[in-house]
Amino acid sequence: MAFEATDRNELRAKLEEYARTGDKELRDEIVGSQVGLAEYLARRFKNRGEPIEDLIQVALLGLLKAVERFDPGRGLEFSTFATPTIVGELKRHFRDKGWAVRVPRRVQELHLRMGTVVNTLSQELGRSPTIPEIAQRAEVSVDEVLEAMEAGRAYRFSSIDAPAGDDEDRAQSPAAAQLGEADSGLEEVEQRMLLSPLIDSLPKREQMIIHLRFFRGMTQSEIAGRLGISQMHVSRLLARSLAQLRDRAGADAAPG
Amino acid sequence: MSGEQNGLDERDEQLRTGGDVRLVVPAAAEYLRLVRLTAAGMASRLGFTFDEVEDLRIAVDELCFHLLGDVGDEDPSAEPRTMDLVYSAGADSITITGRTGLSGGIPESSELSEQILDALVDEHEVTGTNGTILFRLKKQRES
Repeated sequence: MAFEATDRNELRAKLEEYARTGDKELRDEIVGSQVGLAEYLARRFKNRGEPIEDLIQVALLGLLKAVERFDPGRGLEFSTFATPTIVGELKRHFRDKGWAVRVPRRVQELHLRMGTVVNTLSQELGRSPTIPEIAQRAEVSVDEVLEAMEAGRAYRFSSIDAPAGDDEDRAQSPAAAQLGEADSGLEEVEQRMLLSPLIDSLPKREQMIIHLRFFRGMTQSEIAGRLGISQMHVSRLLARSLAQLRDRAGADAAPG
Repeated sequence: MSGEQNGLDERDEQLRTGGDVRLVVPAAAEYLRLVRLTAAGMASRLGFTFDEVEDLRIAVDELCFHLLGDVGDEDPSAEPRTMDLVYSAGADSITITGRTGLSGGIPESSELSEQILDALVDEHEVTGTNGTILFRLKKQRES
């Protein structure tokens, strides 16, 4: 990540100005100019079972945090300061999902199958099914259903050959086929990140789900019907959104 | 997991009539999985629907995570702290009460976090006394 001296000076000047003014547009401009650093660090964590686009988004959060906390008066290079912040964010991301990469395959499969079962039962019953009802229909035990629900939180699995799980989004393609999309997704991720914090930083559909669930009080089934996706998918997206908001809030609140 | 059928039925009966389940875990985010699973297990025995079980899981996770804050992150040498939870089954509700021994007062709650809990459960509160944080949340079954 070698920068020309002029670039470095320019960056320094901008950071100094940002520290003085707190100008959000300037902050976004600085983040935008350093996306390469975030992307570079995110790539060092690939092949660990998390899609690269998610990692880049996590790294961008770290970058934003670094820009906000950087103190030009201390004489550090920005990249020297930002790198541990970004890497810390990435490590935390993995640590929080640590158990997730060990979800057994049969649980993964049941989790995916449950999506259909929950949908069918909801339609048949005209309400959200109980857990024993799901277990009976899926011909598994209640404990297995609970385990599979918990697996939904780990919205990614370790094996890149495993079914991706985001059925509606990804058209049943295995995760491996999606890894190459990182670059095309980057611009969107970047835009999203730069615009505004917290909820606005989530993908549009996830913003919508958060809004409908927590601000309008719709149930997961109602949201699923409204958006034309499965209830399991709503559940997964909610879990993922909350985890992201949490990471972000933690980033803001943690001591510098 | 398939125990004697009679024994299981008796335990179910006990749950329905108000038996408590106690859980003590290290005060660290990694253990929230057990906190969620226990909540889901209780709720499913009480006939909560998938939606309601999901709500309860998210709520207890949100509340506990918030109370744990960033502990365990920077200071591995600190003495291990635990989180004690009691899951109480009512006729058509679950109440989860708990205690964490974290010092430094009640972590400040975000507006979003409050909003999430308001939407997901019927009651929730956090109180603190002498370095101990107490919390309680209650979810009613709809039908």
